[in-house]
Amino acid sequence: MRIEVEDLVLRYGDVTALDGITLTLEEGKIYGLLGRNGSGKTSLLSVLAAFRRHTAGRVRVDGRPVFENPQVTSRISLIRDVGETVDIGTGEDVLYFAEELRPNWDGDYARALMDMFQINPKQTVKNMSKGQRSAMGIIVGLASRAPLTMFDESYLGLDAPARQLFYDQLLADYMAHPRTIIMSTHLIEEVSALFEEVVIIHRGRVVAHEERDALLAKGVSVTGPAAQVDSFTAGMRVLGSRSLGPTKSAMVYGELDDAQRRKAADAGLELGPIAMQDLFIHLTAEDGAAV
Amino acid sequence: MRIPRLLIANGMFALLLWAGFYALVTVLTIGFGLAGRLTHSGWEVAAQLPRWYALFVGVALIREFMPMYIAHGRTRRRFAVDGLITVTLFAPFLAALVTLSYLLESVLYGLAGWPQALTRLHLFTEPTQLPLVFAEYLIEFAAWIPAGALMGAAFYRFRGNGLVVAIPAGALLIITSYAAMGVQPQVPFLFTWLSFDAPGTPLVTVTGGLGVFLAGLLLTWAIIRDIPLRNHVA
Repeated sequence: MRIEVEDLVLRYGDVTALDGITLTLEEGKIYGLLGRNGSGKTSLLSVLAAFRRHTAGRVRVDGRPVFENPQVTSRISLIRDVGETVDIGTGEDVLYFAEELRPNWDGDYARALMDMFQINPKQTVKNMSKGQRSAMGIIVGLASRAPLTMFDESYLGLDAPARQLFYDQLLADYMAHPRTIIMSTHLIEEVSALFEEVVIIHRGRVVAHEERDALLAKGVSVTGPAAQVDSFTAGMRVLGSRSLGPTKSAMVYGELDDAQRRKAADAGLELGPIAMQDLFIHLTAEDGAAV
Repeated sequence: MRIPRLLIANGMFALLLWAGFYALVTVLTIGFGLAGRLTHSGWEVAAQLPRWYALFVGVALIREFMPMYIAHGRTRRRFAVDGLITVTLFAPFLAALVTLSYLLESVLYGLAGWPQALTRLHLFTEPTQLPLVFAEYLIEFAAWIPAGALMGAAFYRFRGNGLVVAIPAGALLIITSYAAMGVQPQVPFLFTWLSFDAPGTPLVTVTGGLGVFLAGLLLTWAIIRDIPLRNHVA
Protein backbone atom coordinates (compact mmCIF):
# COMPACT_ATOMS: atom_id res chain seq x y z
CA MET A 1 0.00 0.00 0.00
CA ARG A 2 1.25 3.46 -0.88
CA ILE A 3 1.50 5.95 1.94
CA GLU A 4 1.31 9.71 1.49
CA VAL A 5 1.70 11.98 4.47
CA GLU A 6 1.62 15.75 4.09
CA ASP A 7 2.29 18.34 6.80
CA LEU A 8 1.19 15.85 9.42
CA VAL A 9 0.81 17.28 12.90
CA LEU A 10 -0.14 15.38 16.03
CA ARG A 11 -0.44 17.04 19.40
CA TYR A 12 -1.10 15.57 22.83
CA GLY A 13 -2.34 18.61 24.67
CA ASP A 14 0.58 21.03 24.72
CA VAL A 15 3.06 18.47 23.43
CA THR A 16 3.70 18.30 19.70
CA ALA A 17 4.60 14.72 18.80
CA LEU A 18 4.58 15.11 15.02
CA ASP A 19 5.56 18.50 13.69
CA GLY A 20 4.72 18.78 10.00
CA ILE A 21 5.87 15.44 8.62
CA THR A 22 5.76 15.03 4.86
CA LEU A 23 6.57 11.61 3.51
CA THR A 24 5.75 9.26 0.65
CA LEU A 25 6.39 5.54 0.93
CA GLU A 26 5.90 3.43 -2.17
CA GLU A 27 4.24 0.05 -1.82
CA GLY A 28 5.99 -3.30 -1.70
CA LYS A 29 9.12 -2.39 0.25
CA ILE A 30 10.51 -2.95 3.72
CA TYR A 31 11.07 0.35 5.49
CA GLY A 32 13.03 1.03 8.62
CA LEU A 33 11.66 3.76 10.86
CA LEU A 34 14.37 5.00 13.19
CA GLY A 35 14.28 7.62 15.88
CA ARG A 36 15.26 8.21 19.47
CA ASN A 37 12.87 7.67 22.34
CA GLY A 38 10.07 10.20 22.11
CA SER A 39 10.95 11.16 18.54
CA GLY A 40 7.42 10.41 17.29
CA LYS A 41 7.82 6.91 15.78
CA THR A 42 4.91 5.38 17.66
CA SER A 43 2.78 8.46 17.05
CA LEU A 44 3.41 8.30 13.31
CA LEU A 45 2.61 4.58 13.12
CA SER A 46 -0.48 5.08 15.28
CA VAL A 47 -1.83 7.69 12.89
CA LEU A 48 -1.06 5.48 9.87
CA ALA A 49 -2.98 2.62 11.50
CA ALA A 50 -5.90 4.86 12.56
CA PHE A 51 -5.17 4.14 16.22
CA ARG A 52 -5.58 7.87 16.70
CA ARG A 53 -6.79 10.85 14.69
CA HIS A 54 -4.15 13.37 13.61
CA THR A 55 -4.40 17.03 14.59
CA ALA A 56 -3.64 18.56 11.20
CA GLY A 57 -2.29 17.67 7.79
CA ARG A 58 -3.19 14.89 5.41
CA VAL A 59 -2.74 11.12 5.57
CA ARG A 60 -3.60 8.92 2.61
CA VAL A 61 -3.06 5.21 2.18
CA ASP A 62 -3.60 4.05 -1.40
CA GLY A 63 -5.02 7.49 -2.04
CA ARG A 64 -7.72 7.27 0.62
CA PRO A 65 -8.02 8.79 4.08
CA VAL A 66 -7.36 6.32 6.89
CA PHE A 67 -9.20 7.28 10.05
CA GLU A 68 -12.51 5.36 10.39
CA ASN A 69 -12.22 4.14 6.80
CA PRO A 70 -12.89 0.38 6.91
CA GLN A 71 -11.75 -0.20 3.30
CA VAL A 72 -8.29 0.99 4.36
CA THR A 73 -7.96 0.03 8.01
CA SER A 74 -8.94 -3.59 7.36
CA ARG A 75 -5.77 -3.86 5.25
CA ILE A 76 -3.44 -2.36 7.86
CA SER A 77 -1.81 -4.13 10.78
CA LEU A 78 0.20 -2.37 13.47
CA ILE A 79 1.71 -4.58 16.15
CA ARG A 80 2.89 -2.69 19.21
CA ASP A 81 4.48 -3.64 22.46
CA VAL A 82 1.25 -2.61 24.20
CA GLY A 83 -0.26 -5.88 22.99
CA GLU A 84 -3.77 -4.86 21.91
CA THR A 85 -4.11 -7.83 19.59
CA VAL A 86 -2.86 -10.49 22.00
CA ASP A 87 -4.01 -9.60 25.52
CA ILE A 88 -7.23 -11.57 25.18
CA GLY A 89 -7.36 -14.92 26.96
CA THR A 90 -5.17 -17.74 25.72
CA GLY A 91 -3.08 -18.05 22.57
CA GLU A 92 -5.97 -19.95 20.99
CA ASP A 93 -8.34 -17.11 21.83
CA VAL A 94 -5.99 -14.66 20.11
CA LEU A 95 -6.13 -16.72 16.92
CA TYR A 96 -9.92 -17.13 17.28
CA PHE A 97 -10.51 -13.38 17.14
CA ALA A 98 -7.81 -12.69 14.54
CA GLU A 99 -9.46 -15.22 12.24
CA GLU A 100 -12.72 -13.25 12.39
CA LEU A 101 -11.24 -9.78 12.20
CA ARG A 102 -8.42 -10.20 9.68
CA PRO A 103 -9.54 -10.63 6.04
CA ASN A 104 -6.28 -12.28 4.87
CA TRP A 105 -5.72 -14.35 8.01
CA ASP A 106 -3.68 -17.56 7.52
CA GLY A 107 -4.49 -19.79 10.48
CA ASP A 108 -2.20 -22.62 9.40
CA TYR A 109 0.73 -20.24 9.20
CA ALA A 110 -0.15 -18.80 12.61
CA ARG A 111 -0.16 -22.27 14.18
CA ALA A 112 3.11 -23.13 12.45
CA LEU A 113 4.65 -19.94 13.85
CA MET A 114 3.38 -20.84 17.32
CA ASP A 115 5.25 -24.13 17.03
CA MET A 116 8.40 -22.37 15.82
CA PHE A 117 8.30 -19.87 18.70
CA GLN A 118 7.38 -22.67 21.11
CA ILE A 119 4.19 -20.99 22.29
CA ASN A 120 1.68 -23.08 24.21
CA PRO A 121 -1.69 -22.16 22.67
CA LYS A 122 -3.50 -23.09 25.88
CA GLN A 123 -1.53 -20.62 27.99
CA THR A 124 -3.07 -17.28 28.97
CA VAL A 125 -1.17 -14.56 27.14
CA LYS A 126 -1.03 -12.24 30.14
CA ASN A 127 0.76 -15.02 32.03
CA MET A 128 3.35 -15.52 29.28
CA SER A 129 6.89 -14.21 29.52
CA LYS A 130 7.73 -10.90 27.87
CA GLY A 131 9.40 -12.76 25.00
CA GLN A 132 6.43 -15.06 24.47
CA ARG A 133 4.03 -12.12 24.43
CA SER A 134 6.25 -10.42 21.85
CA ALA A 135 6.22 -13.61 19.81
CA MET A 136 2.41 -13.69 19.95
CA GLY A 137 2.32 -10.18 18.51
CA ILE A 138 4.70 -11.17 15.73
CA ILE A 139 2.60 -14.24 14.94
CA VAL A 140 -0.52 -12.09 14.62
CA GLY A 141 1.35 -9.51 12.55
CA LEU A 142 2.79 -12.00 10.10
CA ALA A 143 -0.24 -14.30 9.78
CA SER A 144 -2.57 -11.31 9.23
CA ARG A 145 -0.87 -10.82 5.84
CA ALA A 146 -2.04 -7.21 5.88
CA PRO A 147 -0.94 -5.26 2.77
CA LEU A 148 0.50 -2.67 5.15
CA THR A 149 2.16 -4.39 8.09
CA MET A 150 3.94 -2.40 10.79
CA PHE A 151 5.95 -3.58 13.77
CA ASP A 152 6.63 -0.99 16.44
CA GLU A 153 9.44 -2.31 18.62
CA SER A 154 7.24 -5.35 19.01
CA TYR A 155 10.13 -7.81 19.02
CA LEU A 156 12.33 -6.28 21.70
CA GLY A 157 11.27 -8.88 24.22
CA LEU A 158 12.60 -11.74 22.09
CA ASP A 159 15.95 -13.34 22.75
CA ALA A 160 18.55 -13.37 19.96
CA PRO A 161 17.59 -16.76 18.41
CA ALA A 162 13.90 -15.81 18.43
CA ARG A 163 14.67 -12.45 16.83
CA GLN A 164 16.65 -14.22 14.10
CA LEU A 165 13.70 -16.55 13.57
CA PHE A 166 11.46 -13.49 13.23
CA TYR A 167 13.74 -11.85 10.66
CA ASP A 168 13.93 -15.10 8.67
CA GLN A 169 10.17 -15.56 8.71
CA LEU A 170 9.55 -11.93 7.86
CA LEU A 171 11.78 -12.13 4.80
CA ALA A 172 10.44 -15.49 3.67
CA ASP A 173 6.82 -14.40 4.04
CA TYR A 174 7.54 -11.05 2.42
CA MET A 175 9.01 -12.84 -0.60
CA ALA A 176 6.01 -15.17 -0.80
CA HIS A 177 3.42 -12.45 -0.11
CA PRO A 178 4.92 -9.07 -1.06
CA ARG A 179 3.53 -6.17 0.94
CA THR A 180 4.58 -2.90 2.50
CA ILE A 181 6.34 -3.41 5.81
CA ILE A 182 7.49 -0.76 8.24
CA MET A 183 9.69 -1.70 11.17
CA SER A 184 10.45 0.70 13.96
CA THR A 185 13.45 -0.36 15.96
CA HIS A 186 16.33 0.57 18.22
CA LEU A 187 18.26 -2.57 17.17
CA ILE A 188 19.59 -0.71 14.18
CA GLU A 189 22.60 -2.78 13.24
CA GLU A 190 20.75 -6.04 13.74
CA VAL A 191 17.79 -5.17 11.54
CA SER A 192 19.14 -2.66 9.03
CA ALA A 193 20.09 -5.33 6.51
CA LEU A 194 16.37 -5.98 6.03
CA PHE A 195 15.55 -2.41 5.09
CA GLU A 196 15.21 -1.19 1.54
CA GLU A 197 14.59 2.37 2.65
CA VAL A 198 15.18 4.13 5.93
CA VAL A 199 13.21 6.99 7.47
CA ILE A 200 14.77 8.77 10.44
CA ILE A 201 12.64 11.10 12.50
CA HIS A 202 13.74 13.39 15.27
CA ARG A 203 11.62 15.67 17.40
CA GLY A 204 8.58 14.94 15.26
CA ARG A 205 10.26 15.78 11.96
CA VAL A 206 11.80 13.70 9.18
CA VAL A 207 15.57 14.22 9.14
CA ALA A 208 16.37 11.54 6.58
CA HIS A 209 14.48 9.43 4.08
CA GLU A 210 16.77 7.51 1.77
CA GLU A 211 17.35 4.13 0.26
CA ARG A 212 19.44 2.19 2.71
CA ASP A 213 22.54 2.05 0.50
CA ALA A 214 22.26 5.73 -0.40
CA LEU A 215 22.04 6.61 3.27
CA LEU A 216 25.05 4.48 4.12
CA ALA A 217 26.98 6.15 1.29
CA LYS A 218 26.64 9.43 3.17
CA GLY A 219 29.24 8.28 5.61
CA VAL A 220 32.74 6.86 5.14
CA SER A 221 35.18 5.27 7.50
CA VAL A 222 38.79 6.26 6.97
CA THR A 223 41.39 3.87 8.39
CA GLY A 224 45.14 4.08 8.43
CA PRO A 225 48.09 5.56 10.31
CA ALA A 226 46.78 8.10 12.81
CA ALA A 227 48.73 11.05 11.44
CA GLN A 228 47.54 10.45 7.86
CA VAL A 229 43.96 9.99 9.01
CA ASP A 230 44.04 13.23 10.97
CA SER A 231 45.56 15.06 8.04
CA PHE A 232 43.03 13.66 5.57
CA THR A 233 39.99 14.34 7.71
CA ALA A 234 40.99 17.86 8.68
CA GLY A 235 38.09 20.15 7.86
CA MET A 236 35.68 17.24 7.43
CA ARG A 237 32.76 16.43 9.69
CA VAL A 238 34.11 13.61 11.84
CA LEU A 239 31.41 11.68 13.69
CA GLY A 240 33.81 9.69 15.83
CA SER A 241 37.07 7.80 15.83
CA ARG A 242 38.75 4.75 17.30
CA SER A 243 42.44 4.05 17.72
CA LEU A 244 44.34 0.80 18.07
CA GLY A 245 48.06 1.38 18.52
CA PRO A 246 49.27 3.52 15.63
CA THR A 247 46.16 2.79 13.57
CA LYS A 248 43.16 5.06 13.65
CA SER A 249 39.71 4.77 12.14
CA ALA A 250 37.60 7.91 11.73
CA MET A 251 33.96 8.09 10.66
CA VAL A 252 33.33 10.98 8.31
CA TYR A 253 29.92 12.35 7.38
CA GLY A 254 29.49 13.34 3.75
CA GLU A 255 30.22 11.74 0.41
CA LEU A 256 33.81 11.81 -0.91
CA ASP A 257 34.45 12.86 -4.49
CA ASP A 258 36.90 11.08 -6.80
CA ALA A 259 39.75 13.48 -5.99
CA GLN A 260 39.35 12.85 -2.28
CA ARG A 261 39.26 9.10 -2.83
CA ARG A 262 42.47 9.26 -4.88
CA LYS A 263 44.09 11.36 -2.20
CA ALA A 264 43.13 8.79 0.42
CA ALA A 265 44.54 5.96 -1.67
CA ASP A 266 47.78 7.87 -2.22
CA ALA A 267 48.06 8.38 1.56
CA GLY A 268 47.64 4.64 2.14
CA LEU A 269 44.25 5.08 3.76
CA GLU A 270 41.49 2.54 3.54
CA LEU A 271 37.94 3.75 2.90
CA GLY A 272 34.93 1.72 4.01
CA PRO A 273 31.26 1.91 4.82
CA ILE A 274 30.03 3.44 8.02
CA ALA A 275 27.68 1.73 10.43
CA MET A 276 24.06 2.87 10.13
CA GLN A 277 23.89 3.28 13.88
CA ASP A 278 26.71 5.85 13.76
CA LEU A 279 24.89 7.77 11.06
CA PHE A 280 21.70 7.60 13.10
CA ILE A 281 23.43 8.96 16.19
CA HIS A 282 24.83 11.83 14.16
CA LEU A 283 21.54 12.68 12.47
CA THR A 284 19.64 12.69 15.72
CA ALA A 285 22.23 14.51 17.78
CA GLU A 286 20.74 17.18 20.00
CA ASP A 287 22.65 20.02 18.33
CA GLY A 288 20.53 19.20 15.27
CA ALA A 289 21.39 18.12 11.81
CA ALA A 290 19.40 17.39 8.71
CA VAL A 291 20.05 15.77 5.39
CA MET B 1 -27.59 -12.33 10.92
CA ARG B 2 -23.85 -12.72 11.51
CA ILE B 3 -23.14 -13.58 15.13
CA PRO B 4 -20.03 -11.72 16.33
CA ARG B 5 -17.41 -13.86 18.01
CA LEU B 6 -17.47 -11.20 20.69
CA LEU B 7 -20.92 -12.48 21.64
CA ILE B 8 -20.07 -16.15 21.23
CA ALA B 9 -16.95 -15.87 23.39
CA ASN B 10 -18.71 -13.90 26.13
CA GLY B 11 -21.71 -16.23 25.99
CA MET B 12 -19.60 -19.36 26.32
CA PHE B 13 -17.63 -17.89 29.20
CA ALA B 14 -20.82 -16.77 30.95
CA LEU B 15 -22.31 -20.25 30.53
CA LEU B 16 -19.26 -21.84 32.17
CA LEU B 17 -19.36 -19.32 35.02
CA TRP B 18 -23.10 -19.86 35.50
CA ALA B 19 -22.68 -23.64 35.67
CA GLY B 20 -20.11 -23.29 38.44
CA PHE B 21 -22.08 -20.59 40.25
CA TYR B 22 -25.32 -22.57 40.00
CA ALA B 23 -23.64 -25.61 41.51
CA LEU B 24 -22.23 -23.48 44.35
CA VAL B 25 -25.57 -21.82 45.12
CA THR B 26 -27.34 -25.18 45.05
CA VAL B 27 -24.87 -26.73 47.47
CA LEU B 28 -25.22 -23.76 49.85
CA THR B 29 -29.00 -23.83 49.53
CA ILE B 30 -29.15 -27.52 50.37
CA GLY B 31 -26.82 -26.92 53.29
CA PHE B 32 -29.00 -24.15 54.72
CA GLY B 33 -32.11 -26.21 54.02
CA LEU B 34 -30.80 -29.28 55.82
CA ALA B 35 -29.80 -27.05 58.73
CA GLY B 36 -33.35 -25.77 58.86
CA ARG B 37 -32.28 -22.18 58.27
CA LEU B 38 -33.73 -21.70 54.78
CA THR B 39 -36.56 -19.16 54.89
CA HIS B 40 -36.59 -17.72 51.37
CA SER B 41 -35.31 -18.00 47.82
CA GLY B 42 -31.56 -18.46 47.64
CA TRP B 43 -31.41 -17.10 44.09
CA GLU B 44 -32.97 -13.82 45.18
CA VAL B 45 -29.74 -13.28 47.12
CA ALA B 46 -27.42 -15.02 44.68
CA ALA B 47 -28.63 -12.92 41.74
CA GLN B 48 -26.59 -10.00 43.13
CA LEU B 49 -23.43 -11.48 41.67
CA PRO B 50 -24.59 -11.73 38.02
CA ARG B 51 -25.33 -8.01 37.93
CA TRP B 52 -21.74 -7.24 38.95
CA TYR B 53 -20.60 -9.68 36.31
CA ALA B 54 -22.78 -7.78 33.81
CA LEU B 55 -21.04 -4.56 34.84
CA PHE B 56 -17.65 -6.26 34.37
CA VAL B 57 -18.66 -7.44 30.88
CA GLY B 58 -19.54 -3.85 29.98
CA VAL B 59 -16.16 -2.61 31.20
CA ALA B 60 -14.30 -5.43 29.42
CA LEU B 61 -16.05 -4.69 26.14
CA ILE B 62 -14.30 -1.33 26.07
CA ARG B 63 -11.12 -2.01 28.03
CA GLU B 64 -10.18 -5.33 26.43
CA PHE B 65 -12.13 -5.89 23.22
CA MET B 66 -12.36 -2.41 21.69
CA PRO B 67 -8.55 -1.94 21.46
CA MET B 68 -8.25 -5.41 19.94
CA TYR B 69 -10.92 -4.64 17.32
CA ILE B 70 -9.32 -1.33 16.35
CA ALA B 71 -5.83 -2.86 16.28
CA HIS B 72 -7.19 -5.51 13.93
CA GLY B 73 -8.33 -2.81 11.54
CA ARG B 74 -11.99 -2.52 12.52
CA THR B 75 -13.42 0.97 12.76
CA ARG B 76 -14.90 2.26 15.99
CA ARG B 77 -18.26 2.37 14.21
CA ARG B 78 -18.04 -1.30 13.28
CA PHE B 79 -16.98 -2.23 16.80
CA ALA B 80 -19.99 -0.29 18.11
CA VAL B 81 -22.30 -2.33 15.87
CA ASP B 82 -20.77 -5.61 17.06
CA GLY B 83 -20.90 -4.33 20.64
CA LEU B 84 -24.56 -3.36 20.24
CA ILE B 85 -25.45 -6.81 18.90
CA THR B 86 -23.49 -8.39 21.71
CA VAL B 87 -25.07 -6.37 24.50
CA THR B 88 -28.56 -6.68 23.00
CA LEU B 89 -28.33 -10.46 22.94
CA PHE B 90 -26.10 -11.00 25.96
CA ALA B 91 -28.43 -9.23 28.40
CA PRO B 92 -31.39 -11.55 27.64
CA PHE B 93 -29.02 -14.51 27.66
CA LEU B 94 -27.90 -13.66 31.20
CA ALA B 95 -31.52 -12.99 32.20
CA ALA B 96 -32.49 -16.39 30.81
CA LEU B 97 -29.78 -18.07 32.90
CA VAL B 98 -31.04 -16.39 36.07
CA THR B 99 -34.65 -17.29 35.16
CA LEU B 100 -33.59 -20.88 34.62
CA SER B 101 -31.91 -20.79 38.02
CA TYR B 102 -35.17 -19.67 39.69
CA LEU B 103 -37.03 -22.43 37.81
CA LEU B 104 -34.59 -25.14 38.90
CA GLU B 105 -34.70 -23.73 42.40
CA SER B 106 -38.49 -23.95 42.49
CA VAL B 107 -38.24 -27.64 41.53
CA LEU B 108 -35.69 -28.25 44.31
CA TYR B 109 -37.69 -26.28 46.91
CA GLY B 110 -40.88 -28.09 45.83
CA LEU B 111 -39.28 -31.49 46.27
CA ALA B 112 -37.76 -30.55 49.63
CA GLY B 113 -40.79 -28.66 50.87
CA TRP B 114 -38.86 -25.45 51.51
CA PRO B 115 -40.50 -22.01 51.18
CA GLN B 116 -39.32 -20.16 48.05
CA ALA B 117 -40.41 -16.85 49.51
CA LEU B 118 -39.25 -13.40 48.35
CA THR B 119 -37.97 -10.79 50.77
CA ARG B 120 -38.25 -7.62 48.68
CA LEU B 121 -40.34 -6.04 45.94
CA HIS B 122 -39.95 -7.38 42.42
CA LEU B 123 -41.80 -7.25 39.15
CA PHE B 124 -42.89 -10.77 40.11
CA THR B 125 -44.62 -11.86 43.29
CA GLU B 126 -43.75 -15.56 42.91
CA PRO B 127 -40.43 -16.93 41.61
CA THR B 128 -42.46 -19.18 39.34
CA GLN B 129 -43.76 -16.20 37.33
CA LEU B 130 -41.00 -16.85 34.83
CA PRO B 131 -41.84 -14.20 32.19
CA LEU B 132 -41.77 -11.50 34.88
CA VAL B 133 -38.60 -12.91 36.41
CA PHE B 134 -37.02 -12.79 32.97
CA ALA B 135 -38.29 -9.23 32.36
CA GLU B 136 -36.91 -7.90 35.64
CA TYR B 137 -33.45 -9.33 35.15
CA LEU B 138 -33.42 -8.37 31.48
CA ILE B 139 -34.08 -4.73 32.39
CA GLU B 140 -31.53 -4.96 35.17
CA PHE B 141 -28.74 -6.36 32.97
CA ALA B 142 -29.70 -3.98 30.16
CA ALA B 143 -28.79 -1.18 32.57
CA TRP B 144 -25.73 -2.71 34.25
CA ILE B 145 -23.90 -3.70 31.04
CA PRO B 146 -24.17 -0.24 29.38
CA ALA B 147 -23.28 1.34 32.74
CA GLY B 148 -20.10 -0.77 32.77
CA ALA B 149 -19.36 0.12 29.15
CA LEU B 150 -19.79 3.80 29.96
CA MET B 151 -17.42 3.58 32.93
CA GLY B 152 -14.92 1.54 30.89
CA ALA B 153 -14.99 4.07 28.05
CA ALA B 154 -14.63 7.08 30.35
CA PHE B 155 -11.71 5.50 32.18
CA TYR B 156 -9.98 4.33 29.00
CA ARG B 157 -10.20 7.78 27.44
CA PHE B 158 -9.97 10.16 30.40
CA ARG B 159 -8.47 7.91 33.09
CA GLY B 160 -9.37 8.85 36.68
CA ASN B 161 -11.07 12.10 35.68
CA GLY B 162 -13.42 10.11 33.49
CA LEU B 163 -14.47 7.88 36.35
CA VAL B 164 -15.35 10.89 38.49
CA VAL B 165 -18.13 11.63 36.02
CA ALA B 166 -18.86 8.14 34.72
CA ILE B 167 -19.45 6.41 38.06
CA PRO B 168 -22.27 8.76 39.09
CA ALA B 169 -23.65 8.64 35.54
CA GLY B 170 -23.58 4.83 35.55
CA ALA B 171 -25.16 4.72 39.01
CA LEU B 172 -27.89 7.06 37.78
CA LEU B 173 -28.63 4.73 34.87
CA ILE B 174 -28.90 1.79 37.23
CA ILE B 175 -31.09 3.64 39.75
CA THR B 176 -33.36 4.80 36.93
CA SER B 177 -33.86 1.25 35.71
CA TYR B 178 -34.91 0.14 39.21
CA ALA B 179 -37.18 3.15 39.53
CA ALA B 180 -38.80 2.31 36.19
CA MET B 181 -39.56 -1.17 37.50
CA GLY B 182 -40.62 0.04 40.94
CA VAL B 183 -38.14 -2.48 42.29
CA GLN B 184 -35.97 -1.96 45.33
CA PRO B 185 -32.27 -2.01 44.42
CA GLN B 186 -30.36 -4.74 46.20
CA VAL B 187 -26.77 -3.67 46.04
CA PRO B 188 -24.71 -4.05 49.20
CA PHE B 189 -23.50 -0.72 50.63
CA LEU B 190 -25.05 1.15 47.73
CA PHE B 191 -28.52 2.51 47.17
CA THR B 192 -29.68 1.23 50.57
CA TRP B 193 -31.32 4.59 51.18
CA LEU B 194 -33.45 4.14 48.09
CA SER B 195 -36.84 2.51 48.14
CA PHE B 196 -39.29 2.27 45.28
CA ASP B 197 -42.33 0.80 46.95
CA ALA B 198 -44.78 1.53 44.16
CA PRO B 199 -44.60 -0.93 41.25
CA GLY B 200 -44.25 0.90 37.96
CA THR B 201 -46.80 0.49 35.21
CA PRO B 202 -45.77 -1.84 32.37
CA LEU B 203 -45.43 1.18 30.06
CA VAL B 204 -43.13 3.00 32.50
CA THR B 205 -41.14 -0.17 33.08
CA VAL B 206 -40.60 -0.90 29.39
CA THR B 207 -39.91 2.66 28.26
CA GLY B 208 -37.75 3.33 31.32
CA GLY B 209 -35.72 0.16 30.83
CA LEU B 210 -35.30 0.76 27.11
CA GLY B 211 -34.44 4.41 27.70
CA VAL B 212 -31.72 3.53 30.19
CA PHE B 213 -30.31 0.91 27.81
CA LEU B 214 -30.19 3.36 24.90
CA ALA B 215 -28.90 6.25 27.01
CA GLY B 216 -26.04 4.13 28.35
CA LEU B 217 -25.03 2.99 24.88
CA LEU B 218 -25.33 6.45 23.34
CA LEU B 219 -23.18 8.01 26.05
CA THR B 220 -20.61 5.26 25.54
CA TRP B 221 -20.64 5.88 21.79
CA ALA B 222 -20.12 9.60 22.36
CA ILE B 223 -16.89 8.75 24.18
CA ILE B 224 -15.52 6.06 21.85
CA ARG B 225 -16.52 7.43 18.43
CA ASP B 226 -13.05 8.93 17.89
CA ILE B 227 -11.23 7.45 20.88
CA PRO B 228 -7.44 7.10 20.49
CA LEU B 229 -5.77 3.84 21.49
CA ARG B 230 -3.41 4.32 24.39
CA ASN B 231 0.29 4.23 23.65
CA HIS B 232 1.09 2.54 26.93
CA VAL B 233 -0.35 -0.26 28.98
CA ALA B 234 -2.74 1.16 31.56
